[in-house]
Amino acid sequence: MGFLVSFSFFFLALVINQSTLVGQSTAEGVIEFPKNDIRDISQVIKEHANNNGRIGDPIQGDIVNISLIRKGAVVNYTLDLAGIPANPLDHPRANDKNNYSLIHYNNGVTEYNENWTSQ
Amino acid sequence: MVKDGGQLYTIEGVAAGLIMLMTAYLVVGATSVYTPGDAHINDMQLEILGSDALKMLDTPQNYTDSKSPLQQIVETDDGSRFWLMFNNTVNNRTGSIPDHIHFTANYSYRMTADNSINSSFINASRNLTGGEHAVRVTKWVIVNKKLPGSATFQDRAVLVEVLLWRD
Repeated sequence: MGFLVSFSFFFLALVINQSTLVGQSTAEGVIEFPKNDIRDISQVIKEHANNNGRIGDPIQGDIVNISLIRKGAVVNYTLDLAGIPANPLDHPRANDKNNYSLIHYNNGVTEYNENWTSQ
Repeated sequence: MVKDGGQLYTIEGVAAGLIMLMTAYLVVGATSVYTPGDAHINDMQLEILGSDALKMLDTPQNYTDSKSPLQQIVETDDGSRFWLMFNNTVNNRTGSIPDHIHFTANYSYRMTADNSINSSFINASRNLTGGEHAVRVTKWVIVNKKLPGSATFQDRAVLVEVLLWRD
């Protein structure tokens, strides 16, 4: 009986001992989640919109390409500014008083999508 | 009627002894203070510190400034101003003795001709030797600059990248 109980003690000690080596520590989880990257990219895209930005601007090409090559993240976004068509060939939406931005971010582990409308 | 005199010499006795030794080893081993996962705590702290410092540098210093110090630094390639501001931010500690965090900074921009990415050096507290355990922090900045020097003068987005490490 004691022999059998000792097996269960052994198993418990083994599990507790090995638990420190497996899995992801809290600090690793914090590093892996791209909190600052996402806030940064969201802020720079809104800054682009603020400076009368349009799709097709060099800034958009910069953000998309540099994100891919230097940050390993796929980023793209559209901007619809109030009264200004996203595509220069479209008719302006005269009744549209809102700004929109649609942002997609994916770094292979975390995906972030943002749909923003001004009120 | 069953004596335990020869127990130590039976297989059951040997196995029981081995189990006790193994368990004792595991119990003692499980009390180690520094686990392999803890190696990342320092990296995480350094990354957050660098990220906050870059965010501070990218904030206009007063109401009349329309551009942040980091924007001005990238537009004028003012490496010494970057060193001064970043060093004072990152190595500032409560008390008299500053910290010794080292850094090297550059910014990446896109070549409009072929969409390749070039990097331009800003400044470093010392040169990299290759043995540093560094973390990288980045900040997007929109600047009005000719990138490369032969392109037109317009608003461009660059990525400021800083490597930080402790000596």
